[in-house]
Amino acid sequence: MSETDLSVPFRRRAGEALRDAHLQEALTIATTKFIGLQREAFGEFPEGDRLRDLAREIKEATLQRLDRYLGELVDNVERLGGRVHYATTAEEARRVVLDIATRTGARMAVKSKSMATEEIHLNEALEAAGVTAVETDLGEYIIQLAHERPSHIIAPAIHKTKGQVADLFAKELGRRVAADPEVLTQIARGELREKFLRADLGITGANFAIADTGTVVLVTNEGNGRMVTSLPRVHVAVMGVEKVVPSMTDLMVFLQILAKSATGQKMSVYTTLVRGPRRAGELEGPEEFHLVLLDNGRIRQLAGTLREALYCLRCGACLNVCPVYRQIGGHAYGYTSPGPIGILLTAMLEGPASVKDLAHASSLCGACVDACPVRIDIPKMLVELRHEVAAKRLAPWTERVAYGLLARLLASPRLYRWAKPVARLLQRPFVRDGAIRRVPLFDEWTRTRDLPAVAARTFQERWRELVKEERSQ
Amino acid sequence: MTTRAEFFSRISAEMAKTRGLFPARTAPRPADPRAVAGTIRRELAERWPAALERFRREFERVGGVFYRVAAFADVPQVVAGIAREREVRRLVAWDARELGGDLLPALEARGLDPVAMPPGEVSAEERARLRRVVADAELGLTGADLAIAETGTLVLRSGAGRPRSTSLLPPCHIAVFDRAALVESLGQAGVVLELWHREEPPGTGGAVNFITGPSRTADIELTLTRGVHGPKEVHAIFVEAPLHG
Repeated sequence: MSETDLSVPFRRRAGEALRDAHLQEALTIATTKFIGLQREAFGEFPEGDRLRDLAREIKEATLQRLDRYLGELVDNVERLGGRVHYATTAEEARRVVLDIATRTGARMAVKSKSMATEEIHLNEALEAAGVTAVETDLGEYIIQLAHERPSHIIAPAIHKTKGQVADLFAKELGRRVAADPEVLTQIARGELREKFLRADLGITGANFAIADTGTVVLVTNEGNGRMVTSLPRVHVAVMGVEKVVPSMTDLMVFLQILAKSATGQKMSVYTTLVRGPRRAGELEGPEEFHLVLLDNGRIRQLAGTLREALYCLRCGACLNVCPVYRQIGGHAYGYTSPGPIGILLTAMLEGPASVKDLAHASSLCGACVDACPVRIDIPKMLVELRHEVAAKRLAPWTERVAYGLLARLLASPRLYRWAKPVARLLQRPFVRDGAIRRVPLFDEWTRTRDLPAVAARTFQERWRELVKEERSQ
Repeated sequence: MTTRAEFFSRISAEMAKTRGLFPARTAPRPADPRAVAGTIRRELAERWPAALERFRREFERVGGVFYRVAAFADVPQVVAGIAREREVRRLVAWDARELGGDLLPALEARGLDPVAMPPGEVSAEERARLRRVVADAELGLTGADLAIAETGTLVLRSGAGRPRSTSLLPPCHIAVFDRAALVESLGQAGVVLELWHREEPPGTGGAVNFITGPSRTADIELTLTRGVHGPKEVHAIFVEAPLHG
């Protein structure tokens, strides 16, 4: 499977994205449309602000008693006849799912869109074990056929044109296909319908899980979440521990803001609440229900700098408004979750070293905080990550030395005063039109940034003169 | 493999290191959901026409087709009309008790080929056979346990005689509901969900589905397309006379 090549530096991946004219157009159209739809949805919804505050508070309150709510969830799932598994690492989560697949003799798995299973790279592991894994969300299906990764949390294939999709389908089906979204969607419906009916294993994530009732909640527009939880004989839900909410009442708060933030709909078409295996008298539903609780770096963040990132609903709103994401798209980030929140989630899962460049791929403008339905302070955490990257000596030495000197200079008024004439002297060869344009050794920095030159007379110097004049009068 | 005890002891250890970001509480739950649901119902006894009108507007906005009939006996005529327009005959329906009455004779008389879902447990072979029947059906006829005005959402509980697939596999879904199902908001629906959880009647299934219009996707160039996996069409028939008792 071809993926974003992480040996290529982020700067170069971003550069390639910027030169891709088609990607640029697709990104502008998609993100602009999503922003408009989101504004419209909240514009018609005066309670939006209050509910966002409430949703944020519920997330925090749940984390403060996470052991209790997760314990309740486990007890209720087991009471209903489901089985709960605990996965500390991605590797362990994959093994749990593979064991279930092997034990039940599963040959084919149908999946509804799930960031948790993307995160643990489940498809590759299933394929390696001889289980065909089929993504059933249309966007995910397309990128699976293309052997790519999602470029947007809720619109995974926004970087593909209908012509490219038609070519992919033609190759898969061995016949010519019209480049018409309607036709392509109907083809996918037919192809995937047979797979839903034949599959042994249904694999999902969970948008929420309700502690009080042992319910897993899936939000989809296409209906694949319903198919996957109703038709195969085994259902496995993989969820991050932070997805638990205490009660139905809490769930309703989130449902009122989730779709509005994600796609600008008042509600997504399907919100599916499933509990345990098929019950007596039911015509369908799985014979076995498994819930995999996933840690993979989350639990240590309960008391870590990224705690607030555990509030994330995976709605994608912060991507659409981010001036960096809007330019480079999802693939350049290189990991499962792109965009501002994706940097934090990557740091959570892969450690701070993985984001030594990405932590700087933000202007810290704060548009993401405004867009976030639970008001996650992403810029604050990005700054903390930058600190961490610097403290752990993960940044290049030139950058570390420069920042170290600057910090010392700015912290001492005396040093700062002395530094000014020295700087004026040193900057002389580099100043053009009042700005420092290029400095050797710092070429990577200065190539895209202009630093204002130290003024001939600084504010401090002028102020001192003014005060002197005042006194002499 | 990590055990429950190990997993939870790690969570507790991390939790002990912090008091959290700010004082926070979860959403206030109704102490007595039955009483609150009763109040909602009484208030709607007067306000229901406005709620129904709002439901119709929102339901149509998401691509649903709304009908209003006087009595349950008028339902077959509407269903037959939908079938005729689409030139289809094969229909699967919830069990008569779950629907509010037996519509099969009337539907057959109008030229449809209806199959009712079994009211209770059937063998694995029969379940497999019925799945094919449902997968081949062109129309799926169900009730609706809630109709949420704020969003145009139908809520369907699965269970004996009310399979999940009836509203999922056929390309056209028709739901019949009455005033008792109507609520104004998602908040009110939440109260009813709390009540359902506390007072679970026998035969309750494992799924509750919120359905807001036909299945849709915009995954190819953001072009809105209907009926990707679920039904391409959703119809809601409001019956003025009460359906149950």
